[in-house]
Amino acid sequence: MPALVWVLPPVVLLGVFFLYPLFLVVRQSVQPDTGGTSLQPYADVFASEAFREALGTTVWLALGATIGCLVLGFALALVIAFVPFPGGKAVAKFIDVFLSFPSFLITLALLFIYGTKGMANGVWTDATGAADGPFQFLTTPWGVLLAEITYFTPFVMRPLLAAFSQIDTAQLEVAASLGAGPGRIVRRVILPEALPALAAGGSLVLVMCLNEFGIVLFTGAKGVTTLPMLVYSEAMLESDYPAACVVAVVNIAISVGLYGLYRVVSRRAGA
Amino acid sequence: MLVHSRKGKWAVWSLFLVLFLPLFALPLLVILAASFSSHWSGAFPSGFTTGHYTAATRGESLQALTTSLVTALAASLLALAAGTWAALAAASLKKGGKRAVDALFLLPVAVPSVVVGLAVLVAFSKPPMILNGTRWIVVLAHAVLVTAFAHQSVSAAIQRLDPAYEQAAASLGARPSYVLWKVKLPLLLPSLNAAAGLCFALSMGELSATMMLYPPDWTPLPVRIYAATDRGSTFTGAALAVVLMAATLLVLLAVSRVRTRASYR
Amino acid sequence: MSSGIRFDRVSVAYGRHTVLDALDLTVEPGEVMALLGPSGSGKTTALRAVAGFVRPASGRVFIGERDVTGLPPHRRGVGMVVQQYALFPHMRVEDNVAFGMKAQKVAKAEIPGRVAEALEMTGMASYAKRFPRELSGGQQQRVAIARALAIRPGVLLLDEPLSALDAQLRSGMLAELARLHRELPDVSILYVTHDQVEALTLADQIAVMDRARLQDCGTPQELYRTPRTEFTASFVGNANLLAVTVRGTGAVSFADAELKADTGDAVSGATATLCVRPHLVGLGDGPNALTGRVAEVQWRGATHRLYVEVGGERVKADVRELRKPPALGDEITLHFAPEDAVLLAGGVTDG
Repeated sequence: MPALVWVLPPVVLLGVFFLYPLFLVVRQSVQPDTGGTSLQPYADVFASEAFREALGTTVWLALGATIGCLVLGFALALVIAFVPFPGGKAVAKFIDVFLSFPSFLITLALLFIYGTKGMANGVWTDATGAADGPFQFLTTPWGVLLAEITYFTPFVMRPLLAAFSQIDTAQLEVAASLGAGPGRIVRRVILPEALPALAAGGSLVLVMCLNEFGIVLFTGAKGVTTLPMLVYSEAMLESDYPAACVVAVVNIAISVGLYGLYRVVSRRAGA
Repeated sequence: MLVHSRKGKWAVWSLFLVLFLPLFALPLLVILAASFSSHWSGAFPSGFTTGHYTAATRGESLQALTTSLVTALAASLLALAAGTWAALAAASLKKGGKRAVDALFLLPVAVPSVVVGLAVLVAFSKPPMILNGTRWIVVLAHAVLVTAFAHQSVSAAIQRLDPAYEQAAASLGARPSYVLWKVKLPLLLPSLNAAAGLCFALSMGELSATMMLYPPDWTPLPVRIYAATDRGSTFTGAALAVVLMAATLLVLLAVSRVRTRASYR
Repeated sequence: MSSGIRFDRVSVAYGRHTVLDALDLTVEPGEVMALLGPSGSGKTTALRAVAGFVRPASGRVFIGERDVTGLPPHRRGVGMVVQQYALFPHMRVEDNVAFGMKAQKVAKAEIPGRVAEALEMTGMASYAKRFPRELSGGQQQRVAIARALAIRPGVLLLDEPLSALDAQLRSGMLAELARLHRELPDVSILYVTHDQVEALTLADQIAVMDRARLQDCGTPQELYRTPRTEFTASFVGNANLLAVTVRGTGAVSFADAELKADTGDAVSGATATLCVRPHLVGLGDGPNALTGRVAEVQWRGATHRLYVEVGGERVKADVRELRKPPALGDEITLHFAPEDAVLLAGGVTDG
């Protein structure tokens, strides 16, 4: 009984400052400006072209970025763990540091590299004398995709490196002595061991991509609108709170559902 | 281990560098280079200047830095206190209760930060608690956002803590409060430090919820970076970003120093 | 200050799984009681019930005259030393030893003297300023004992205290523990171990446990010389357990052989188990002779262990090192004195 009393204060704090506000969002989403309670805001939002496009963009960006992060993260972690080189530890440390920076820095950097007046286009125009460079993708969804893959890959690498460090290298040596080539060892020995970490890292990245805001905001592209971006613009630019709340509820539903899945997967993985 | 031939190893390593350098190292280098340049047309930046830093470390920019530092410090301490308390209290609950508390405190991670911003805005723009337009709403939102991380890392550390220490202390006649103060908390100190560092870094870079909440007199650094970039002053933005990264790293470094001093294994 | 321990039908269950089944056991004041048994036998659970870390489903635990069943651990006043020592890594040795006294608010002036005394007693006085990580396993063990003794407990609980040490250190520590017990004759000790040598060396009484139950209890000599059950016979020391049939007073039959042994009040015709220690079995003809073929020979340095197949059963004999050990398949004769054989009371069944 006293244990329950002790747990109350932080739970009450969380309730007042997080759960109650969240409840208000849900309540406002069914209270149109005209008053009363109805599901009309949902019907309106679901019917709007902007919402459907944002939903589609959000989902395919998140899926694409997750797949990209998994492939890239697996490859890079594989090299760090199993083809060790001097400085490998420093690279792992660098990844830790990378994780402590905010995401929008990546977009900022990409502006200098691939922006209209950036490095890559500069090299091109200097070399060919053309007026414009070929790299104009930054303000399209592809720019967001590149930034998300760059930023979130370390989130896949971290659990993978942890999982790889659990693999007994003697296993690999035995497999090699039995005549298995590197490709076969990766597929037959390493991949099965890494699968739980991959699944856990992948679903975490999926959730984070769904909720990513900074990268999209900094891209500044009018053509790329994701759900979090829509929440922001409905609330701050249009001052349409019920609509913002509806989008917010949809966004919460998707990401909390996926996060629940991630917890289940990572608990299985023992991560 | 995996690739044995010298040639094969070099091939793998070059491939690694070709992927790694442009993707991860280049962005940070580019921001650093841009922060020292007056313009960038062509392959490389040109016009070395420290002018952006002069601008970035005075007036409103300096204020933005202190705003971010104060916000991050306050939010991390609040989050650490609430998260640690919840984790410690939950650890003594039965299995179902513990899981419920853990799930509750994890929820802020799963909810998009923008939505947390919106929710806080909706809830604290009207009586009984009007925080909208004050700096407290920013600190509050940051604290809510990072509490989950604090709770998660502390509760993982509690789980790793060998119950033998607690039991040895109890068998020596120490009351639970004495055990908490003299044994458990000191043993958890390295994890608390790490959690504090994590919370601080997250709060320093927080943009999503902040964008919805910041009052004019409490503009954190990320908002300032966005404002600079948005009106086309990307070089100033780069300098501000370097200041942000440096400040974050310095604090992380200080925290890890504390950690090595307090660690005992 | 001296206080014993009494278990009064103590049962402990995790869910439906009973890990300690109605234990009745008394440790007299100043006595060393060893709880001996394989892992999972409930011996550690019994110790933890005294310390207060498991709560009995039924039954009472007494320390001295005090019923402590409902008391939290920190109000029981027992000293405890566990396998992994659990020294507080963030405290120096002296602070570890002082911890219990500070927690119990012993007068400040008194503490340094008692710390020094406890460290002196365990031979760790010169390590007071060290951190646990700077000590070897054996030294950590001594500090853990000093820490437990510093609170001057009436009861000391030792949970496999030597099992993390290597063999050589272990025999040294065993002698140390015996010395400590002589210096502290008032402290009752409950000593949990799976090692029969530790139990035989240290204990005044041994309680043999298996599958959550107390199997046997007695002095080391009683348990070794006259075990009551097959489990005790094989767990305390080594034993040949021969399936025999009682043939009247003082005689049993084993395979084709007639053997003399004390049959007590066993009925003629009953089947029973005869326990003979391998080192009491001799080579060659004599009383109670058994003839069979050598199935295996193991040289163990000072002794030879012979396995001899007699009437379908293997009989073990530990004999002094042989110049010319028998070859496999040789027919040889073994014998043992009738007074060295024990008919196990627990093993007697009718017809």
